[in-house]
Amino acid sequence: MGEIFANLGGGFVNAFQPLNFAMILLGLTIGIIAGALPGITMLNSIVLVLPFTYLMGIVPALLLMIGVYCGGVFGGSITGILFNIPGDPMNVPTTWEGYRLSRKGQTQYALGLAIMSSAFGGLVSALFLAFFAPPFAKFALTFSTVEFFAVVVFGLASVSVLGQASMAGALISLFTGVLLGTIGTEAQYGVERFAFGVPFLKTGVDFVTVLIGLFAIGEVLEQLVVKGAEPAPATSGARAIPKLPLLALWPLRWSLARGTAVGIAVGGLAGAGATVSSFVSYGLEKQISKEPHLFGTGHAGGLVASESSVNGSTGGAMIHLLTLGIPGSAATAVMMGAFLIHGIQPGPLLFTKQPEQVYTIFAGMILANVVMIALGFLAALSFAMLMKVPASILNTFIVVFCFLGAFALRNDLADVWLTMLFGVLGFFMRRWDLPIPPLVMGIILGPMAEQYFLTSMVSHANDLTVFVTRPVSAVVLAFSLLMVVWPFVKTFRARRRHAGGG
Amino acid sequence: MLARRLLAPLGGVAVAIALYPVTWGLDAIAREGQLGPGFWPRLALGGLALACVGKMLEDWQRLRRAAPGAPDARPPLARGKLVAGIACIVGYVLLAPVLGFALVSALFIAAFLVLGGMRSVPAIATNVVVGVVALLYLFVRLVYLPLPKGDGPFEAVTLALYRALRLY
Repeated sequence: MGEIFANLGGGFVNAFQPLNFAMILLGLTIGIIAGALPGITMLNSIVLVLPFTYLMGIVPALLLMIGVYCGGVFGGSITGILFNIPGDPMNVPTTWEGYRLSRKGQTQYALGLAIMSSAFGGLVSALFLAFFAPPFAKFALTFSTVEFFAVVVFGLASVSVLGQASMAGALISLFTGVLLGTIGTEAQYGVERFAFGVPFLKTGVDFVTVLIGLFAIGEVLEQLVVKGAEPAPATSGARAIPKLPLLALWPLRWSLARGTAVGIAVGGLAGAGATVSSFVSYGLEKQISKEPHLFGTGHAGGLVASESSVNGSTGGAMIHLLTLGIPGSAATAVMMGAFLIHGIQPGPLLFTKQPEQVYTIFAGMILANVVMIALGFLAALSFAMLMKVPASILNTFIVVFCFLGAFALRNDLADVWLTMLFGVLGFFMRRWDLPIPPLVMGIILGPMAEQYFLTSMVSHANDLTVFVTRPVSAVVLAFSLLMVVWPFVKTFRARRRHAGGG
Repeated sequence: MLARRLLAPLGGVAVAIALYPVTWGLDAIAREGQLGPGFWPRLALGGLALACVGKMLEDWQRLRRAAPGAPDARPPLARGKLVAGIACIVGYVLLAPVLGFALVSALFIAAFLVLGGMRSVPAIATNVVVGVVALLYLFVRLVYLPLPKGDGPFEAVTLALYRALRLY
């Protein structure tokens, strides 16, 4: 332990070198801004900065990318809270609660909670990475696609807590999302599904187009045409300047702790990543909460849990890269590229051969999450100024930004068509009482579930019992089942009580 | 009212029934005894159809319990504005390759502002000019996004605008 502290101290000294610290600041700024712009994902921004790292040393290069990574996973929550446009799929659960809080005039509170819980999750995760990376990586390596499937099913099962108004409506949305996720070329056999010869459908429906359309365009149409719709954000604009609610976090400490723990655990599973962890932690939080009926109406616990798990997953995802040389997510795969460009092979030998570099990275992650509080605050402040703009102008430019965000995905107008189509669909889904979040979950988690399920079946000779004979998978699936069944049990018990009382 | 509420789930059942046969041919590539690429879509379609039937039953029960002649709880809709809003959005994408991003965005911004209730011509003009110029600087000059330039004479107009703004 003493050696870890000494190495970490050395890492901090390195990370505070002017160039290294400047790279953390620059990376965070790029990440937060890019993460907040729909269509430009955190991954895009890491890829975009990669060429600029060729001429740098490995440490500043990695600190720049770590800054982008930490800032990028947080940035998307700003526009989600303010305009109902999640910057990245991982920010969707934050948007569900944050935007509702914002519509209630609690924008300051929502933004402050998002900043603080992101920083907390990221900080704890970075500390976990520094102290427990090697043993955790060893444990996580025992997981296979069977366990990954169970975790994704747990995320999908949270649809039951999202659809308490109408379970059938939530399931329609979920299966529509799962179906949309099957469009395009199937990964295992390379077969085209539901493309019907349309070229852009062969590569599938990019879920960012679905997100932008359903959330942003649907909301704009709602505000435009529904008489007596909720007041536009501009009415609460004067109170949009973020506030850092340090004391307000105390009552939410358990949500924060659970979200961070889920983030580290799920982020540590190679391939699962921040998106799965945010859905899982949101679903878990709602199931545990004493006021689950308030979720979806602006519940601070839901926001804190999902936001802390998103940044909590960053340390988990780095564990595989640094200890085993296996990237745990797409973002860390790009970072691995940076290592290899500089002639360094990440893996167990890195800890013995170049410990100063490894611990500078750990220190950089810790610093990035602390500095993110200030930079996140400044970024949220700038974006919050937009809340003072009249609703007619704001809505118009939201549509224009949706156009640009969708076009930027593949420089293809077909994606813009899809976005607008999903926007209209989102409007009618609201009218028909079909919840939108399950559709989003279906399109994001559905393809993951399919991939893990089919791979497990191939590896285990189509033996379905493998999902219940492996202990971790069995426990996670049992929790998923409980999550689905519990609302029905509660309803049944309430009816019996009601009948008994009446 | 029941017929209107049943429309969406009925549509879902129809989509599931129509797409189900498409999945039959997908499994031809799979090895004997293995689950093919048609398995997951079939699962999704089956689930969708069942959920739609469930929703129909749920709505039917809910309406049966509701008092006769009870008003629709949903807020009223400005149908004219809805049609105009969707037309603006569709027109925006439809005309983008013809007019180019700059011109079509100027038209869209003006139209959508009017639809949103703005009537002051100077305010609309300011939003159009400042908005389009700022967007072009941000996305063409800084992000290098190859936005649609338009066709024929409109392409010439876009290029002239880019030159005037020193984007090229």
